[in-house]
Amino acid sequence: MNILIIEDEKALAHELEFFLLKNNYICEICYNGTSASEKIAVNLYDFILLDLGLPDYEGLDLLKEAKKANPEVACIILTARAEVNDRVKGLDLGADDYLAKPFSLLELQSRMQAITRRKFGVTQSIVDLDGFLVNITERTIMHHTDQINTITKKEFDLIAYMLLHKNRTLTRAQLSEHIWGSVINDDYDSNFIDAHIKNIRKKLSVYAPADWLETVRGLGYRIKTNV
Amino acid sequence: MKLKTKLTLFNAISKLVIVTLFILLLPGIIENINKSYTDSRLLKQKNKLLQIVSEKGIKTYIENGESYGSYLPLKEEYISLDEVEPGYYLDTIRDEQRLVERDTIDYRILSHTFKAGNRNYLLEIGKSTETIGETTGPLQNIAFQILLGMILLTILADQIFSTYVLRPLNIIIRTKLIGNKFPKFTVYKEVKTSTSDFQHLDLSIHKMVETIETAFQKEREFISNASHELMTPISILQSKIENMFEQDDIADELKLRLMEMQKILNRLKSITKTLLLISQIENDQFLKEDIVSARALLQDIYEEISIRLQDRNISLAILVIEDVQLAHVNKFLLFNLFFNLINNAIKYNKTDGEITVTAQWVKNNYTISIADTGIGIADDELPYIFNRFKKLKQSLSQDSFGLGLPIVKSIATFHQMGINVVSEKGVGSTFTLTFPQKVTADSPVN
Repeated sequence: MNILIIEDEKALAHELEFFLLKNNYICEICYNGTSASEKIAVNLYDFILLDLGLPDYEGLDLLKEAKKANPEVACIILTARAEVNDRVKGLDLGADDYLAKPFSLLELQSRMQAITRRKFGVTQSIVDLDGFLVNITERTIMHHTDQINTITKKEFDLIAYMLLHKNRTLTRAQLSEHIWGSVINDDYDSNFIDAHIKNIRKKLSVYAPADWLETVRGLGYRIKTNV
Repeated sequence: MKLKTKLTLFNAISKLVIVTLFILLLPGIIENINKSYTDSRLLKQKNKLLQIVSEKGIKTYIENGESYGSYLPLKEEYISLDEVEPGYYLDTIRDEQRLVERDTIDYRILSHTFKAGNRNYLLEIGKSTETIGETTGPLQNIAFQILLGMILLTILADQIFSTYVLRPLNIIIRTKLIGNKFPKFTVYKEVKTSTSDFQHLDLSIHKMVETIETAFQKEREFISNASHELMTPISILQSKIENMFEQDDIADELKLRLMEMQKILNRLKSITKTLLLISQIENDQFLKEDIVSARALLQDIYEEISIRLQDRNISLAILVIEDVQLAHVNKFLLFNLFFNLINNAIKYNKTDGEITVTAQWVKNNYTISIADTGIGIADDELPYIFNRFKKLKQSLSQDSFGLGLPIVKSIATFHQMGINVVSEKGVGSTFTLTFPQKVTADSPVN
């Protein structure tokens, strides 16, 4: 997949590129709006990661140009200026998602995957974990033919997020950011991820031991699978 | 009491006192005036008579030792002349009674003895006191009426003048002090007055408000800019840590330290995000266009927060039976408001504690109360709980940075909601939120 990163903060652009390359994406970087505008007009991209706060260009104009050049392009807006109006305007102009800085790279990847599924119609969304069938699009879990109804919304979010980043250790901070991201409160250490994982294991163990949900000592959790 | 009312009251009362005093003294004064006037007339008459006697001789009045007496038909005045013992002497003016043709009448009588042709005579000139009193009544009445009229006139004049002179003060109070939310960002409008005190007052208030406004504005801008500017470096750091974490050749020990860094970065992120949120709320950057069911909102929060309840075995009872629609609100903000209040009720509760959420109509205002069985807040700390970064003594053990209640406060203020806290140390706290009427205008009022 071809990705254009438009970000004037060079250090951040490099980290984005590093991460995306590692996850088998093809990347190009623009540090300013003018060169981005030229690139958009010439090349065909599947994804544009657009920082709205460019010094030389109105970010939303770039979005319009990109949509005009390729209506199929998926676009995620990245911004530190988390103005409510920007969000609405961006989504109105055809942006697919909106991530406020600072964001987790894993969060970015999961948003990108969600957009890909939606836009490009990836059919394979059921994952088999030792007999547990997780349907990401329908948001359901079955054990063989038994529907599991005890899993809550938050618990499913955790499973889906770990599954999206399967075989990768996710720290409590990363998991916590994913499921509590929109809640603003003044706790910092208590993330309750352990309690959630304990609940998930307990609920699944009624059917079969969920050994694929591993605790990585001292670091976090991961879903191990060969699928 | 208003200054104007005070002035008017003082004016009226002081004048009334003066009038009453005057009315009480008036009869005495008039009587005195009358008496001295009568006395001087009597003396004049006496002198006139004596003059006649000395010019024409006593025989004009008395012949052969008979007495002389004369009175007006209605007996209001009389005159008598008698011969008396040679040694008798009298020269007085007194109130006495005289019997005149079977009528006993009170007179003011001048008695005077004088000698004429070796004989001693007594002259009496009397004026009935009734006639003297006759003028006293009307005189008193007229004086009283004139006085009353004058007093009323001055009270009216005082009233008009004080209203006029205090008008600028009224305007200052009405337009610059009452019902103004500080800080307000309005243009200075000079209050027209020729009273220098008021000009000074007006200008001073304006300058003070301006100073407060500027300070407020600067603080807001600073918080907004600072938190925005911090977002980008935090973002870079976070990405770097995440990328390093992914490196295969990193030792576990290093990974643990990276994770610690991530945690600390999260804390920084959390503080910055919270400050930014508060500044966005205070700068009115949120819309209030959502319609939310109070019960559904609390249910959402229950689902979100249940893991925390489970962690400390705390029971949460949401006793909101009636389904009230809250209009003109921001759902995201309201969610965060209640989340923080209930989260606090969990954090500062005891294990196996209880939290009760109740909804009530107080007159026409919808209220939601959150009561916990927690550690409570000491009376001396209660006034400061909404201050930013204020950590209370008993909450020091908790992982918080003291922004939970400031968020609650700014969201409540943004929605014009009242917030009231009742707390007893060791027993628990109750936070009550009162919604403005327009929020529940579309819902039936019980």
